[in-house]
Amino acid sequence: MKRLSLVWTSTALPMAVALIAGCSSGVNNPSGVPVTVMKADEQGFVAGTGVESQDLVAVTDKMARSVLKTPEIQNAQGVPRVVLLPVENQTRFAINKDIFLDRIRSQLNSKGQGKVRFLARDRMPALEQERELKRSGQLTSSSDPNVQELKGADFFLTGKLSGLTTKTKAGVSDYILYTFQLVDARTSDILWEDSAEIKKQGVEDAAYR
Amino acid sequence: MKFRWIFACAVAVLSLVGCASLSPEEQAARDRVLNQYRQAATAMRQARFTDAKAVLDDALLSLGGISAGDKTAKEARSYFREESRKNFRGEPYERVMAYYYRGILYWMDGEPDNARACFRSAAIQDADPEQHTYESDYVLLDYLDGFASTKMRGDGTDAFKRAQKVARLAQPPPYDVSANVLVFVEMGRGPEKYAAGEYREQLHFSPGSSVATYASVVMDGGMVTATAPAFDDLSYQAVTRGGRQMDYILANKAVFKGTTDVLGDAALISGGALALSGGDRATEVGAGLMVAGLISKIVSSATTPEADTRMWDNLPNLLGFAALRAPPGHHSMVVEFRNAGGQATLRRELAFDAVEGRDTVIFVSDRN
Repeated sequence: MKRLSLVWTSTALPMAVALIAGCSSGVNNPSGVPVTVMKADEQGFVAGTGVESQDLVAVTDKMARSVLKTPEIQNAQGVPRVVLLPVENQTRFAINKDIFLDRIRSQLNSKGQGKVRFLARDRMPALEQERELKRSGQLTSSSDPNVQELKGADFFLTGKLSGLTTKTKAGVSDYILYTFQLVDARTSDILWEDSAEIKKQGVEDAAYR
Repeated sequence: MKFRWIFACAVAVLSLVGCASLSPEEQAARDRVLNQYRQAATAMRQARFTDAKAVLDDALLSLGGISAGDKTAKEARSYFREESRKNFRGEPYERVMAYYYRGILYWMDGEPDNARACFRSAAIQDADPEQHTYESDYVLLDYLDGFASTKMRGDGTDAFKRAQKVARLAQPPPYDVSANVLVFVEMGRGPEKYAAGEYREQLHFSPGSSVATYASVVMDGGMVTATAPAFDDLSYQAVTRGGRQMDYILANKAVFKGTTDVLGDAALISGGALALSGGDRATEVGAGLMVAGLISKIVSSATTPEADTRMWDNLPNLLGFAALRAPPGHHSMVVEFRNAGGQATLRRELAFDAVEGRDTVIFVSDRN
C-alpha cells in the first residue's frame, strides 16, 4: 500500500498543479450584469481616462456657482442676456461639447433665480421663420411683428477644454483643464473666467500593451 | 487502483483541454470590435458615413476605456488559453485607423476640433513607451492636427514641424487656411498578420501592397487640380511599432510548452527504463515517473502560446491627402489613382456641394 501511495503522490502533485492552472468557464458574467443606476457625479465601474459624467457634473456645477458671483451679473441693471458660444475641444477626446454649456445653462436657469437670461441663438432659423410668417399675416401675433424684438447679447459664455497626455511604461495619464469665460459682447472684455482641472491615469492590461 | 489512475489522468486531460474552446457566440462577442472595424471601413468606401460613425463610436468606446480588469485579457495571458481569446482591440496600426476614420467623419460633420481629438488619440495609440524609436510617426496625424488647429485660429506650427520631421514618402505642404475641400484618399491592401516561431508564438506582419502610389485630383473639369500623395504607409507602421508586452508573455508560454514537453519525454523514457529494470519498488517508481511524464506531455500540449492573428483585413496600405479651394456651390471632381510611373490605375468621379463657412470633406478609396 505504501508503494501505491508513493506512485499516487508522484502523480497527484503535477495533476493538482495542472488542475489549478487549468481553465475555468471562459465566460465573463454569464448571467449578465443587471442595470446599475448610478449618480451622474460618481464614477462607475466602466471608466476611462477621458471626459466622463462625473467630470461634467463637477465642472459645470463649479462654473455655474462661480459665474453667479460675478459682480457684473450680481449688480447688473436689468437682466443681462447671455449667448452661448461653442466650446472648443483641444483635448484628445472627442466629446459632445454642447453638453457642458447645456448643463451650465440649465444650472443657471434653475438656480440663478432669474439673474441671467439666455438667448436661443441656436433656434434662429425657426425664430426668423416665425417672425416672417407673422409679418406676412399668415400667423397671429400678440404684438406688432414689425417691431424688432429679437434681443442682442450682453455677454457671451464660452469655454475651452485643453488636454495633456502622458504615456509611459507605467500607464496613461490624462490631464484636462476646463476653462470658461464670460465675455462682454460690447467691449470684448473678459469679465469672468474660471477653471477646473481633472487628472486621471490608468494602466492597460499587458495583453493590450 | 488502476481505475484510480486512469480516472486521474482523464480528469487532468479534460480539465486542460476539454474547456479550451469558446462557443461561436462567445468568440463573436470577443471579435465584436474587429467586426465593427471591418464594417466601418466598408461603410466608408460605400459612402455610408452614418453607418460608419455608429460602428466606430461603439468600437472606440471599447478602445477608449482602460482595459485593466478585462477578464478575457487575463485569460489570454494564462498558459492554457490562446491570445485570441481576449477581446479584440487590434494592434496599434489598427487602433490608429479606427480613430483616423472617425476623425475624418467628425471633420465631415463640421467638427474639426473633435476630428483633431481623434487624430491626437490615434497618435497616442502609436506611442511606443518601450523603445521610442518609431513612436507617433504618422505624418497625417500630426499634419491634420496642426491643420485643424490652424483653421480654428490656433497654432499648428509644432504639429506641422513634427509632420515634416517624420515624413518619408512625401513632404506635407504648408497649410492653406483658405482650402475648404479636404480630400482623403486611401490606396491598396494593408498589412497582414501571421504567426511564426516553433509554436507560432511570434506575431509578424507581411507588408501590404498598392498599385497606386498617389492620386491626382481634378475639380470642375480642370479649373482646380491637386495631387494627393501618400503620406503614410500602414505596412511600415505595422512592422516598426516595436515589441508588445504580450510578446514576452507568449515567449514564456512557448518556453513552458517546450520545457514540459522535454520533461515529459525524459520522465516517460526514464520511467519506462526503470519499470523494466525489475524490482517491485523500481517498477512502482518507474510507473509513477511515466504517469508524471504523461501529465507533463498533456500540460505541454495544452499550453497555447499561439499569437493572435485576428486582423482588420480590409485596411488600405497607403494614406494620402490634399486640400483645395472651392467657392460655395456645386462642383464635380475626378480622382485618378496613379502608379509610380504616373499612369492612371483607377478613376473615380464624384460631385459635391461646397458650403460657406465650413469644410467639405471627400473620402475616396481605390477599394470597394
